[in-house]
Amino acid sequence: MTSRTGSTAAAADAVQYLTFSLDGELFAVPIEHIREIIEFGGLTAVPLTPQFLRGVINLRGAVVPVVDLGARFGRSGTTIGRRTCIVILEVEAAERMLPVGILVDTVNEVLTTDRSQIEPRPPFGARIRADFMSGMLSQGERFVIVLDVGQVLSVEEMGGLIGLAVEEHAA
Amino acid sequence: MDMDMARDALVQEARELLDAMEAALLQIEASGADSEAINAIFRAAHTIKGSAGLFAFNRIVSFTHIVESVLDRVRTGKLPIDAPMLSLLLNCGDYIAQLVDAIAARVEEVEPDPARRAELEEQLNQLLGEPAQTHAAPAPAPVASAIPAAQTSVVEDPVNSPYWHLSLRFLPDVLRMGLDPLSFLQYLGNVGTLLNLRTLPEGLPPLAQLDPEQAYLGFELDLQSEEDRAAIDGVFDFIRDDASIVILSPHAPMHEYRTLLALRPDPQMLAEVLAQGTLTADEAARALLPPEETVESVPVNAPVVMTETAAKAPAARQGEDKKGGYEQKFIKVEVSKLDLLIDLVGELVIAGAGASLIANRRKDSQFEEAVQSIAELVEHIRDAALNLRMVPIGEVFQRFPRVVRDISHELGKEIDLVVTGADTELDKSMVERLSDPLMHIVRNAMDHGIEATEARLAAGKPAAGTLRLNAFHESGSIVIEVSDDGRGLNKARILAKAIERGLVTAEQSLAEHEVFRLIFEAGFSTAEQVTNLSGRGVGMDVVKKNIESLRGEVEMLSTEGAGTTVRIRLPLTLAIIDGFQVMVNESIFVIPLDLVIECIDLAGLDGHHDIVKLRGEPLPFIRLRELFELPRLEHGRESLVVVQFGQQRAGLVVDRLLGEFQAVIKPLGELFSRIKSISGSTILGDGKVALILDVANLVHQAVQQQAAPQNSKAAGSLASPQKSNG
Repeated sequence: MTSRTGSTAAAADAVQYLTFSLDGELFAVPIEHIREIIEFGGLTAVPLTPQFLRGVINLRGAVVPVVDLGARFGRSGTTIGRRTCIVILEVEAAERMLPVGILVDTVNEVLTTDRSQIEPRPPFGARIRADFMSGMLSQGERFVIVLDVGQVLSVEEMGGLIGLAVEEHAA
Repeated sequence: MDMDMARDALVQEARELLDAMEAALLQIEASGADSEAINAIFRAAHTIKGSAGLFAFNRIVSFTHIVESVLDRVRTGKLPIDAPMLSLLLNCGDYIAQLVDAIAARVEEVEPDPARRAELEEQLNQLLGEPAQTHAAPAPAPVASAIPAAQTSVVEDPVNSPYWHLSLRFLPDVLRMGLDPLSFLQYLGNVGTLLNLRTLPEGLPPLAQLDPEQAYLGFELDLQSEEDRAAIDGVFDFIRDDASIVILSPHAPMHEYRTLLALRPDPQMLAEVLAQGTLTADEAARALLPPEETVESVPVNAPVVMTETAAKAPAARQGEDKKGGYEQKFIKVEVSKLDLLIDLVGELVIAGAGASLIANRRKDSQFEEAVQSIAELVEHIRDAALNLRMVPIGEVFQRFPRVVRDISHELGKEIDLVVTGADTELDKSMVERLSDPLMHIVRNAMDHGIEATEARLAAGKPAAGTLRLNAFHESGSIVIEVSDDGRGLNKARILAKAIERGLVTAEQSLAEHEVFRLIFEAGFSTAEQVTNLSGRGVGMDVVKKNIESLRGEVEMLSTEGAGTTVRIRLPLTLAIIDGFQVMVNESIFVIPLDLVIECIDLAGLDGHHDIVKLRGEPLPFIRLRELFELPRLEHGRESLVVVQFGQQRAGLVVDRLLGEFQAVIKPLGELFSRIKSISGSTILGDGKVALILDVANLVHQAVQQQAAPQNSKAAGSLASPQKSNG
């Protein structure tokens, strides 16, 4: 019993991330946010919405929005390739969990690491908004950016941006 | 535990009975006393008391008991049913409702409003000709404290017995809780001498099913005691919550025995038991009879009555039960179960659409036929499932007779309420959310719409104002109207207010309906003084928002001096609609079929300024391709879908018409809440998502563009037909 407690304590420090690549760069998302990973397909565009919202998909009867992370980071939109996937994440919105999909070029692996290995986010240098990052992981020569899912997929912020875009068109 | 369910059932039953009681009281107020209505009120009070007694909810029992005593006298004509009496009974009904709410909230130990209760009890006791009791709010003795009759010298129709009578029934579980009924009986010996103890094996099962750990026996006994009621009652302090205990004082009035009999499952048998000691045979027989039949003649032909009673009493009780409930047969189903069913039917509809898509591709006629007949059945199942959630709008309307009555009293106006179309059905989930907006509109109409009596007479109108609630189905929607014959809307005043509030500029020329629509703007209120009723900050803008959240629309119609009508238009359901698929560029959109009037080939029509002439009538239209900024396709045959929402028509220009299908509505979620032209989404047979157009919004948009051609957008799209021609 005692040894078990010890191992869970150790496990509490171990964290798991899903890593994926986007336009040649590596990103990581804490595994507990991930609901599932599906093949790209069947996307319906929603008119008048900003570029970062690629559209909506049918996920077993539920209509789920799909976000183009490239566009959300203020870069060019993601080009659909043979290995393009949609990663479905759970995002907190108004006291309940909302599924949101993100477009990624390829899904790489599930990375188990110790919490202490996560470095704080650099104040500058990365090419994305500072508040989108929760930290960095070094993987050999490369750095993996750990995303702050709550910020990147903030329903409040994205909803506001979509509203602005729609009202701009209407004006 | 099962007790919780039983308690919920009691609460629901009591609420239904209170509604019935209120309806009957209002009916008497409107059309005079009628014995059927009075009986209905009595039955309601009586049944509530009886059910509450089973649970030993003593606060309800004791209060309802006094109400019932008054009602009993009304029923026998000893008290008149006049306006003050009706008001008192309505207030008592409200207080019982408060007590029921307390039970629902599991706080029945606390008196909701002791002052109010004391006030009502005083009024009731005055009618009974009994001194008002200062009711000690905490720890009222069950039934007992509410029966002051015994202590006073005037007792109506007392029984002969000089002893206390105790009727004891225990919950089957008391033994398991460590309470032994026998020990209470023994302890009772400390306060007096037990007489005529009868054991009632009412609940005793056959020996094989007997559970030795359960209490089955009930007791009826007389007690010779000099102690007061509190002392006797105190014996049962520990078991009161798990038993039904009735204590009747020496020489108790006959009606208390009657109440006791009604409380127990087998009054006939109990009467016989009581006749063996407590009561004389004659008294027992009379206790079984409803009060109005207990005229003095009873003793004379007692034997005849006896035999009659034996046959009649149980039958009468059965009839009572039936009348007290609803005539129709209902099963109560949890809402979540219904929702699950509707969800599953939604999935079935989508899967069915997928199957027919495949069938069509296979070109196998047998397969296609089979799929077709399944599709038809699915459609029936869908309709039947949705129908399960449909309830008559009367559920909302039934609150209003009381509201109108109370508010008209408060305002000192005489207002008649006329309700029509109460059986028009709509989705249960909408009924719940409709109640508040309707209440607001009704209050508004009574407060601001209908004039004071003098003003009405001066205007040559009847002194009493009329408020109408009406509901009917119209082209796939339900329309609810609240109309008054009051002063109507003052266009100039509304306009002045709107200009003052900066909602419009003085230069804008607005049509009448546009002026009226200003009332729904946030922060708009024309009431010069804020009254108790309306104008307390919540405006018609909230009403509009509520209605729009139900995918509905609200509009104002008014003739100055003659009255105002608020018209609400709502879809029948929020779950599944018949949709019409259209294609714009490569995207499929769905238009609710109910709103589609016709489809026309646009090429044959003469279109300028985004208006076509359709059979001589100008029809504004919107090119969805331009609205949604989608690239233009080469094959140039466009179609015009004519849609109607409310009284307004508009055209939607699309690239292709794809036909009808059943659309299960899927909400798009918070992210898309600000996209006005799209109301939701649905899943097509091939599994792709299609967006549902918000036709109300598009029609308004088209009509507005037509009304304001200087608008830059309209000017911009003016050029496009020429471009495409070139």
